[in-house]
Amino acid sequence: MNRPTVSFVVPTRNSARTISACVMSLRNQAYDNVEIVVVDNESTDDTAQRALAAGADRVIIAGPERCAQRNRGARESTGAFVVFIDSDMVMEPAIAAQIVDAFESHPHLGALIIPEQSFGDGFWTKCRVLEKSLYVGNESVEAARAFRREVFEAVGGWNENLTAAEDWDLDDRIRAHGTIVGRIDAFIWHDEGKLRLRGTFGKKRYYGQWIAAYLDAHDDGARRIRRSGLLDKKADLLRHPLLTSGMVTLKSVEAAGIYAGMRDARSNRIAVLPGARS
Amino acid sequence: MRILVLTWRDLAHEAAGGAEVYTEQVTRRWAAAGHEVTLFAAAVPGRPDEEMVDGYRVVRRGGKLTVYRAARKWYAANGHGQFDVVIDMVNTVPFRAHQWIKDTPVIAFFHQTAEECWHFNAPLPVAVLGRYVLEPRWIKAYRDRTVMVVSQSTADALARFGVNNTVILPEGFEPVAVPQVQKEEKPTIVWCARLVPYKRPQDVVEAARIAREQIPDLQVWIMGGGPMLEELRKTAPAGVDILGRVDENDKIERMARAHVHVATSAREGWGLVVSEAAALGTPTIAYNTPGLKDSTMAAQGQLCPPEPAALAAFIVESMPRLQSEPFAPIPYGGAHSWDEVAGSMEWAVMEFLGRVPADAI
Repeated sequence: MNRPTVSFVVPTRNSARTISACVMSLRNQAYDNVEIVVVDNESTDDTAQRALAAGADRVIIAGPERCAQRNRGARESTGAFVVFIDSDMVMEPAIAAQIVDAFESHPHLGALIIPEQSFGDGFWTKCRVLEKSLYVGNESVEAARAFRREVFEAVGGWNENLTAAEDWDLDDRIRAHGTIVGRIDAFIWHDEGKLRLRGTFGKKRYYGQWIAAYLDAHDDGARRIRRSGLLDKKADLLRHPLLTSGMVTLKSVEAAGIYAGMRDARSNRIAVLPGARS
Repeated sequence: MRILVLTWRDLAHEAAGGAEVYTEQVTRRWAAAGHEVTLFAAAVPGRPDEEMVDGYRVVRRGGKLTVYRAARKWYAANGHGQFDVVIDMVNTVPFRAHQWIKDTPVIAFFHQTAEECWHFNAPLPVAVLGRYVLEPRWIKAYRDRTVMVVSQSTADALARFGVNNTVILPEGFEPVAVPQVQKEEKPTIVWCARLVPYKRPQDVVEAARIAREQIPDLQVWIMGGGPMLEELRKTAPAGVDILGRVDENDKIERMARAHVHVATSAREGWGLVVSEAAALGTPTIAYNTPGLKDSTMAAQGQLCPPEPAALAAFIVESMPRLQSEPFAPIPYGGAHSWDEVAGSMEWAVMEFLGRVPADAI
């Protein structure tokens, strides 16, 4: 029987640390018809070679930012279903099969949320792991990442004017389009590496510029930013008092970063992303 | 060529491991090929200070901590002008031979860096001192040196300390005959390593506990001796057999009979056990850690995040396929023959010597 192809699109930029595990986890899906398209934004390391060695079907060189890279990858892929993956993610083996099953057995579903868990080294990363665990099942934070191709194309794909909050923007637009969003059970594991407070601030300041643009474009966008979900699972917080206080610190630093970035955007200063990240 | 190899211990040492096997397999082939090879290592109780082994000479002086000073002293008395090249094998504590051997070219070899393994092997103050002060200083001493390694992971690790001139050599492996056995009836996992904290056998036990909720007849074989044996035996849930040390034949048979081999070490130079399993027709699910990453990719296995919950999910979601589709044994398990390794290392040393200006020798 000919089963539909699932296309995974992975934008990269200097992602040598994580790309091999990411692509291998896609190549080793317990489902055969998987297409892996990596869109590399002119990495100066050997990301492209490592992606091919790990089993990517194609590496396309294209920029200038990850939304444009994802749209390019979607255009050049062929599957009936398109899934957007970040280069620091590792997929459980059942993800592709579950995506196909969900779309085939529920024709009304147009997009799917894949739950995420974080992992990595060090105290701040452990705080992030706790934070992410609180979001699982929370629709104001989670965003769809697997789409029927026709749904993705009908809404015009990713918004290339955004480099942060672009996942919420797309999720909002497909829902406004009348698409019903479902979910699967298998997890994506997000490699946070080793988080550092200073690096986090700089990154959020960079992304904060686009948060301002996202809020301008969506009336109820603020519900995403407030992340009220953090207090929904109080028992989890009480079980980990040290990590909880660390998480509060981490979120405060991030909020300050985003606020600084939004101010930069409003006053037309452009922050530069410290370090490299796809 | 007259070659001096400086290493902390030789194969006769009771704690000899994969690094010593690597060195020994290369030196005996070099000796057989006509090179005059001397191996300098720490003294071993009951073994002579000097002997010939498999065609090469072994010189033993000093102990675990004093072998480094002993090497320097021995070289000052016996080494000058006697060798064409010196190979400085680094196992955490370095000889730093290039700083005290000025009349002969010195090339280095790192089996692996220690880094987070400090925390598994030493009390906290020592671990912090070792990981953040001593080891970075030791590695940085090799910044402008040519360094041989066996994996991309070790090359990446050294690059973070500014050591960029690395040559990646293949890992060697001597395959055994594949036993004629069937895969187990029950879904079966095998794990094989020393039972020490940095190999993380407790993660496999935890993953098995989680996975058995989905696969109630899951069977887990934990093979290997070590200080954690009693503790693991006390806490292992049903379905998890802590077998302790098993003899070589039993080990090979169980590896071949299992559906999947799992590896959970925090760090390896390569992770030869993964190659061993693949050569026996058993694929691996490994934690995505330095070294295991390299061997698992070469052995066409799967990499999973280093968390018991992730390992459990990978096992549960992969098991139907692992049981229904046979995995053909991979030649050398993705590693290489020792002849090839010895040849590659000889070639790397020659290339290095070609780059050294004549007046420096």
